[in-house]
Amino acid sequence: MIQTRQLVKRYGTFTAVEGIDLHIRPGEIYGFLGPNGAGKTTTMMMLLGITRPTSGEIFLFGEKYTHRRLDLRRRIGVVPEKHPRGVWPWMTAEEYLRFFAELFAVPRPEERISSLLEKVDLLGFRNRRIREFSRGMLQKLSFTRAILHDPDILLLDEPISGLDPLGIRQVRDLIMSENRGGRSIFISSHQLSEMERICHRVAIISKGRLMAEDTMQNLVARLFREREIHVELEKVPQGLAARLKKLPSVLECTVRGETLIVTVPRQGDFRRVVSEFLIGQDLVPLSIQERVVSLEEAFVTITQENIGSLVSDGGEG
Amino acid sequence: MSGRARAARVIAKRQVFEALVSPGLYIALVAGLFLGYALVSGFARAVDSSGFNPQLRPLYDIIGRGLEGAFGKTFVDALFAEGPLPFAFSVSFAPVFLYIAVSSVFKFGLEKNAGAVELVAYGPADGTSYLIASYVKDLLLSLFSILVLLAFMVAAAALYNYLAGPELFVAAVVAFFLSLALLAYGSLASMLTVNASSSLALFLGIIAFLLVVLFGSFAIVGEYVRTLSTVIARAVQWVSPFFYGNLSLRANAAGDPLGFVGGLALLAVLAVVILTASHFIISARGVRA
Repeated sequence: MIQTRQLVKRYGTFTAVEGIDLHIRPGEIYGFLGPNGAGKTTTMMMLLGITRPTSGEIFLFGEKYTHRRLDLRRRIGVVPEKHPRGVWPWMTAEEYLRFFAELFAVPRPEERISSLLEKVDLLGFRNRRIREFSRGMLQKLSFTRAILHDPDILLLDEPISGLDPLGIRQVRDLIMSENRGGRSIFISSHQLSEMERICHRVAIISKGRLMAEDTMQNLVARLFREREIHVELEKVPQGLAARLKKLPSVLECTVRGETLIVTVPRQGDFRRVVSEFLIGQDLVPLSIQERVVSLEEAFVTITQENIGSLVSDGGEG
Repeated sequence: MSGRARAARVIAKRQVFEALVSPGLYIALVAGLFLGYALVSGFARAVDSSGFNPQLRPLYDIIGRGLEGAFGKTFVDALFAEGPLPFAFSVSFAPVFLYIAVSSVFKFGLEKNAGAVELVAYGPADGTSYLIASYVKDLLLSLFSILVLLAFMVAAAALYNYLAGPELFVAAVVAFFLSLALLAYGSLASMLTVNASSSLALFLGIIAFLLVVLFGSFAIVGEYVRTLSTVIARAVQWVSPFFYGNLSLRANAAGDPLGFVGGLALLAVLAVVILTASHFIISARGVRA
């Protein structure tokens, strides 16, 4: 769908994007994550041909892309972070969509507009002016505009930023429903918990460099070679942690209140080993659970701690 | 039709519609018509047994002296030989043109800042599509205004028993070709600057500079200023629409149709050159707000 090779963007002496290789596959939801100023928007603007790369190549749908390839650009739908309120605020939602339908030469525009407005729950607001729309309504209208011409891929920039929980849910449902229909989706976002829920693969960018690109599972496996088992007991006897640590599969064991925190290797399930040991000590575990590493933790680890090791490991790509 | 041309057509259609349903153009047209009417009706009172005598009316006295100083007596005689209509037409078109150009430059700056250009560039359009659309819209509005004013002049001719002869239509044609090049400067100003106010300031600055240089090089100012203006005019006349417009009008007054058409052609070439420069600037700078 979209592939970049050694994409670089420099502004004078400042390097905004440094040698990024991305690969967005057909039908996937791809999360593009990074802290502020990491180079996400610059990368997106280069993918759209709005900003020209200093060097490197972009391939859209298997063809080399330059800013002159408007034919390729029209196969992308874009939802910017915020729908610019100052843009034609006097237009009604329908006039706005009709204008873009004409721009994209959408066949049977009236039918298409009605069906999409119904899908995003805005049919009742079709004759309302854009300036009267709330943030959430604008985002849905923007989404409708982006899929109006039935693009092959959607590029979303912070699609749920600033939305209330209901708005987030509606946009998430829209993203999922578009993806179920086979559309590839590229999302640049800070909403890590949300990305974790919907993305098939994620890329993490920091200081203009691609730190990792993988599925969530692989990313966590690469980042965290150990994992923690939390065992809640009624009372932790003295010396238990030291005895537990002697087990060959236990790397570390600490006590926090009435909870044992047992560090084991990432590969394999060690809950049984730990619980059998505790029962052998006449202890009854009240609960035993493995701590799941969230995307947020992975993100923080990647962007703040493990940058060096990840770069040397390289992404799956 | 290429994607860019199609996008430009759709955007221009939208912009023309917006301009036609907003009151600004009509207010400017009414102002132009008032000016035209004042000049047409005043002319009747500046005619005595010897013909047109500007000194009879203070308004025409000032105008006559100014024009004679700028373009020479032959030009003024030719201008009024047919009656007041060519001159009245030119004067009445000036505020309308100014409105079209100023509002377009300002609107382009506002829309670019608001993100409209970027928004259409997410689709099958690009900055050049928007540039072409805006320019085409301005030309269509200019043409519409010229036709309205021409219709008014023809009606005034019937009312006051003046001749709506070829000079009136020559003035209309020159006005249109002048618009071609001046509006291209408007596009260039929009491309070179970062916001609506600076676009407008640059555009008005360019127009004022070219006018000052043109008029400064004629006989209505002191010797030193005139010499200085003449030197500057020699250097900048090649990029001045007023120079080519003046060339065309003078050729017409001298009965040189080839020179007349040549002047118009040069105005069109100048417009194309300026628009090409604007295209390269927006391609290089991008459309981001």
